[in-house]
Amino acid sequence: MNQNIYEEIEIGHVIDGPSIDVTKDMIREFAKASFDFNALHLDDKFMEKKFGKTKFEGVIAHGMMTFSLMTRMMTDWLWPRGGIHRRLETRWLKPVYHGDTITFGATVSKKLKTSKGQWILFSLEVKNQKGDLVATGESMAESP
Amino acid sequence: MEEFHQDTFEKDFWKDWDKRKTWDEIQPGELRTTVELTLTKEMIQNFARAIGDMNPLYFDEDYAKKSPHGGLIAPPSIHVMLMMICTPHDDWMKEPGTINAGQSWYYNVPARPGDRIRLVCKALDKFIKKERLFIIHENVFYNQNDEVICSGRGWTIRPR
Repeated sequence: MNQNIYEEIEIGHVIDGPSIDVTKDMIREFAKASFDFNALHLDDKFMEKKFGKTKFEGVIAHGMMTFSLMTRMMTDWLWPRGGIHRRLETRWLKPVYHGDTITFGATVSKKLKTSKGQWILFSLEVKNQKGDLVATGESMAESP
Repeated sequence: MEEFHQDTFEKDFWKDWDKRKTWDEIQPGELRTTVELTLTKEMIQNFARAIGDMNPLYFDEDYAKKSPHGGLIAPPSIHVMLMMICTPHDDWMKEPGTINAGQSWYYNVPARPGDRIRLVCKALDKFIKKERLFIIHENVFYNQNDEVICSGRGWTIRPR
């Protein structure tokens, strides 16, 4: 607790996040807990339709489930070190289907001092079991 | 302002789906109608469990009291749940087929059990890219002291 992570952490440092098996139950539980009952996440039949230029192969996990798991990776790492998760920006590149295993990781990309703070920037990647990137992100943490 | 009730929350996002605003009808800059709620410990913990996040700051009152936060808090990503609760059923965000393309969120103070949560949100921009209909929306959550909990921006692809 309370190490000075800003001084100690080096650019390029890698955080190995969790690997998570995405199941239909998990997606359903996330829908209930987040009150997001969009049919994309619950109804296989609905997913047989075309969505404008986009086509899916079955129900997909909420993009915000991946987002929340990215947040979890960051707070899990930062909290014991006294850091505060201040920002996350994500892009979803590919859908996450039930049956996929998604693995989270982050790399320290930059450190910066401002007049009132010390900031650590991270570059985040989420890959599926095929090694395809399903989401990327940038996170910003405030260091004590 | 409308108040959130867990028992009457409409889970069937198909109901009256065609009454929601289409891409053509969404007016950037216009404030959207929102719903207020009192955040409960149960809602926070259900959300944390759903993402397997068992940080004692969300579950263990004694631990949280002794921490710099001085009490239980919600995970930063609680806005994911708040967004669905604080937008009414007829909001375009809930239309089946809405696709999330990207989001960014800045976190200021944590949300806590008992907080009265208020959302101010609007579409900010709309555009067409690769034949897809995009809306950019911006959202700010406040607590009962008018402190900003978090503020975010999202890119969604509209189904129609």
